[in-house]
Amino acid sequence: MSNYQLSLIMLACISVISVSGVFAMTSLAGMFSLGQAAYMSICAYLTFCLAKYLDLPVMLTAVVGLAASGLVALIISLPALKLRRDYFALLSVGFGEMISSIVILLGKWTNASIGFSRIPKVDNLVLVILGITALVLFMVRNLKRSRFGRMCIALKTDEIAAKSFGIDVYRLKIKIYVIASMIAAVAGICYGLRNRVISPDAFDWSLSAEMQILLFFGGTNSLTGSVISAAALKILPEFLKGVSFFGVSLQDCKTIIYCALIIVIINFRTKGIMGEHELSLAPLVKLARKAGARRAKESK
Amino acid sequence: MSLQLLISGISLGSVYALIAVGFAIVFSVLKFSNFAHGGMISACAYIGYYFQRSFPSTPPIYVTILFSALCGVALSFLVDFIAYRRLRAKQAPNIYYFLASITVSIAIVQILSVFYGNNLYAYPAIFESTTFFIGSIRFSTIDTLILLVSLAMLAVLIYLIDKTRVGLAIRAVAINAQTSKLMGINSGFIIVAVFAIAGVLAGVSGVLLGLKYSIYPTLGSQMMLKGFIASVIGGLGSLSGAIAAAIILGVVEIFLTYYLGSLSTPIILFGVMLVFLAVRPEGIAGRFAKDKV
Repeated sequence: MSNYQLSLIMLACISVISVSGVFAMTSLAGMFSLGQAAYMSICAYLTFCLAKYLDLPVMLTAVVGLAASGLVALIISLPALKLRRDYFALLSVGFGEMISSIVILLGKWTNASIGFSRIPKVDNLVLVILGITALVLFMVRNLKRSRFGRMCIALKTDEIAAKSFGIDVYRLKIKIYVIASMIAAVAGICYGLRNRVISPDAFDWSLSAEMQILLFFGGTNSLTGSVISAAALKILPEFLKGVSFFGVSLQDCKTIIYCALIIVIINFRTKGIMGEHELSLAPLVKLARKAGARRAKESK
Repeated sequence: MSLQLLISGISLGSVYALIAVGFAIVFSVLKFSNFAHGGMISACAYIGYYFQRSFPSTPPIYVTILFSALCGVALSFLVDFIAYRRLRAKQAPNIYYFLASITVSIAIVQILSVFYGNNLYAYPAIFESTTFFIGSIRFSTIDTLILLVSLAMLAVLIYLIDKTRVGLAIRAVAINAQTSKLMGINSGFIIVAVFAIAGVLAGVSGVLLGLKYSIYPTLGSQMMLKGFIASVIGGLGSLSGAIAAAIILGVVEIFLTYYLGSLSTPIILFGVMLVFLAVRPEGIAGRFAKDKV
């Protein structure tokens, strides 16, 4: 495959990782955050700056970066998660702004708005990123099916009812927020490895909003739906390159088109394209079994 | 010098107050954070700019503000028509309103940046001199104008909410929509009224912000964040609390920017807000605390 196709695959994978993090938070626990890109930023900067200035291997600094993002998420969530859901979301925008200010403030090391580009090259990056994506998806899928995930869904459906069943809502919210933030942090590392340059502008709140939009587009409660929409909608604009409409390039308008799509979806099919359905192999397996049984009968 | 900073801070704070109130009034009735308010502010700032530029001689500023406010109302109705009307009919959960409003906000910002670019535009100068003196103290003309306009707006708004029948109805719906409907309040009309007020506030604050800063697509979203911080610190649902907090915020921001530079200001402001939420989540005014937590 050409480099261009490989880079598209990586783009889709990064989008899938970040959306699955948001899935854990929004679809399972019903929390809405517009600051997830900030965790991408924290982790990416920590990982690559430490690797550069302390001459450590990226693998090691990535662990430090992940731990640090988790810690920041914990500190932020302690006061913030006491709030109503939409207050929390607005607060997270402020958090994102704060992180990009800090990055610019530390311009001596992070190279401020120009972007930090001294990122080591990794061989076979596509395979690495595909592996990470598969791992993250597997984890999130298990999370949804576990007791923990069911507790989260109860919390999302009715917070007071969940409380009355003995679920410690506040602690649960903090846990899921930290998990979601660390998944976002993984996406941040992958982003850095793919683009080889990170800048504070790349991680502003519109990126966080984009994750939420991709999630809701595919279906709020469907992991497969959101994964498909994350990959498809991210790659689709690449095919709009060079197409222009009334003298405006459609590539420039991609966000406007997204927004129009999402408004239509919210208004006419509120639960997203896939709704609550999950794509799975189960119907196929059933069909195969039926066919097998029939054949067995016939041979008798 | 510090008196000058104080005046400038109060004038900035009064614009924040306009934004906080426009944001809070939709919240109090419809119970969702109207993120689209930020996009509307940006759009109104551009409308005001092109309105001023479209005449050979610059029209007086109050005409621009009036025109922009009217456009704000129209825009507000349009946003309601496109994004919220069907959700309301379906009685969809809050999170969908919220998502719709964010989407509208992003769409407006993107439309502005695709068609007008990310350049900064400055409003044409409306005064011959940028400063004037009273005694030996120098005042900035723009800051004083902004202060006067926003204080006047806030006074009208407080009168409207506290003294008129419409205001009474809005307060009733804010406290309990179901009961007030049973009492014969036309909730459809109240929602229209609330969007109209929010539109006027977005229009006015857009032009005022454009006069103070240059205009760019994300102007409104950034400023709305400050308005939001103010309404959190002030305690949402309390008009006077939000206004007081907004003015304090403006003053603190101007002083911080002067002494520490503009980069560390958002960090400190956000830190203050986090501490405030941890210590006193009900805000300064402390009313409607249950609603927020």
